[in-house]
Amino acid sequence: MTRAHRILEFLWSGWSGLAALCLLAAVWQAGHEAYGPFILTSPLETIQAIGVLASSREAWEIAALTLQRAVSGFALVALAGTALGVAGGYSPATMRLVTPLITVLMGVPPIAWIVLAMIWFGGSDATVRVVIVISALPTVFMGAARGITTRDPVLDKMSEAFGAGAVRRFFGIGLRQTTTTLFPAFALALGTSFKVAVMAELLSNAGGIGGALAMARMNLDIAQALAWVSIAVILLIMVEYTLVQPVKSEIDRWRHAAQPWGVKR
Amino acid sequence: MNVLELSNVGHAYLGRTILEGINLRVAPGEIVALVGPSGCGKSTLAHIAAGLTAARSGHITRGYARHAMIFQDSALMPWATAAGNIDYALRLSGAKRRDRHARLVAVADHVALTSEDLAKYPIELSGGMRQRVAIARALAIQPDFMYFDEPFTALDVALRRRMQDLVIETCADGNLSGLFITHDLNEAARIAHRVAILDTRGNGILGHRSPPGSPRTRTDTQVFDWVQNALQGDPIFRHIHDVDERQIA
Repeated sequence: MTRAHRILEFLWSGWSGLAALCLLAAVWQAGHEAYGPFILTSPLETIQAIGVLASSREAWEIAALTLQRAVSGFALVALAGTALGVAGGYSPATMRLVTPLITVLMGVPPIAWIVLAMIWFGGSDATVRVVIVISALPTVFMGAARGITTRDPVLDKMSEAFGAGAVRRFFGIGLRQTTTTLFPAFALALGTSFKVAVMAELLSNAGGIGGALAMARMNLDIAQALAWVSIAVILLIMVEYTLVQPVKSEIDRWRHAAQPWGVKR
Repeated sequence: MNVLELSNVGHAYLGRTILEGINLRVAPGEIVALVGPSGCGKSTLAHIAAGLTAARSGHITRGYARHAMIFQDSALMPWATAAGNIDYALRLSGAKRRDRHARLVAVADHVALTSEDLAKYPIELSGGMRQRVAIARALAIQPDFMYFDEPFTALDVALRRRMQDLVIETCADGNLSGLFITHDLNEAARIAHRVAILDTRGNGILGHRSPPGSPRTRTDTQVFDWVQNALQGDPIFRHIHDVDERQIA
């Protein structure tokens, strides 16, 4: 299958996404009609509010700030989590040491980290990034470690039999096999990054979309709040489909090789 | 001068001795088949000889320049095409980019892989085609010694025969020596110059037997008769079909 084929197929699969969004909008509209505009504004009004925001320069800056924080936090956690996870996957001793720490990280609610980070760093980028790293680290760590521990040992032997040293085996064989579990972990971590970024901004009064949401809450402006939530989701989808998915589909090309064109299972 | 010599090699796995006092020699241009019941440590011995597993004791002398290996379940990288898999071995061997392509085409032609096959991923190939790619990958780096680690066990009878013919034909020009691991005495009798029999408990090589003639000239009748005589009359082969599922490695 050529690259053009794959891109076309990917775009075609957008219809199912669009259908799901329309379903969501229908449920939303039903909720709006049942509870009235003060509790839930209609999807159309929300889209209009987004339109108003889109024409203001200030709103773009707010969104860009959150985007920058979420993506830089995600980049940090992707690097740190992969490095730790790979180390844990290869060395059982590291795995045993790190696993309880990961459990501790998972047990402490993100809100507690926000409070701590606010005390340490104030309402800055660092606060948001630290909370993102701590919240998403277990996911990425597990994804990377699982990928290494479940790799096919025969491929390592094969590579060694043909003369590959430890470094080439790692980059050519080991790391390549982590992608199966690492990419779903990345997708989850990216979602977490956006959620946590907005939450941390809201609570630490650090501006961005979280700050705008706090403002909407003070004004009891439901349309504004929903518009900002939608913008956060749109940003997440944009980043996921420009950053994570293209790399994933390139790496997973072989999985789709045996599937007929246009058929989804 | 031997191309491979194992002296007094021993190995233990999870605290249990699985190989002890193994002495084995392979002469230049010779294919030695190592047979023994399932689970007696044949594959481990091949991995030790190839340097993939460290022996616990003993000494290994390798007189060859470069080895290649064909594994039981083809061991192809699922994310690379057939061509990519063959090229991987070529890259590891340090071949230049231009030479790599020429070698790839030549070796694919040798094992009857078309350019369409080469563009496919392992998932799109049948078991036999995958093993063909694995053979091509091993031959591509022009080894002078080949390890066969039960390469055709998973294939059906007809396909196995064709693959054996491919090996016999490839090794017949005399530039290739090899160690062929199998638990199929028929296969050993077809392919090898000499058959070494490993003890059921990995406790040394019980002995050697040579089927008549050379692998290339041997007829099917000769192979059949030899195997029948070996299984019925030769006490050394008494335990060849023993199976102990509890044994590992």
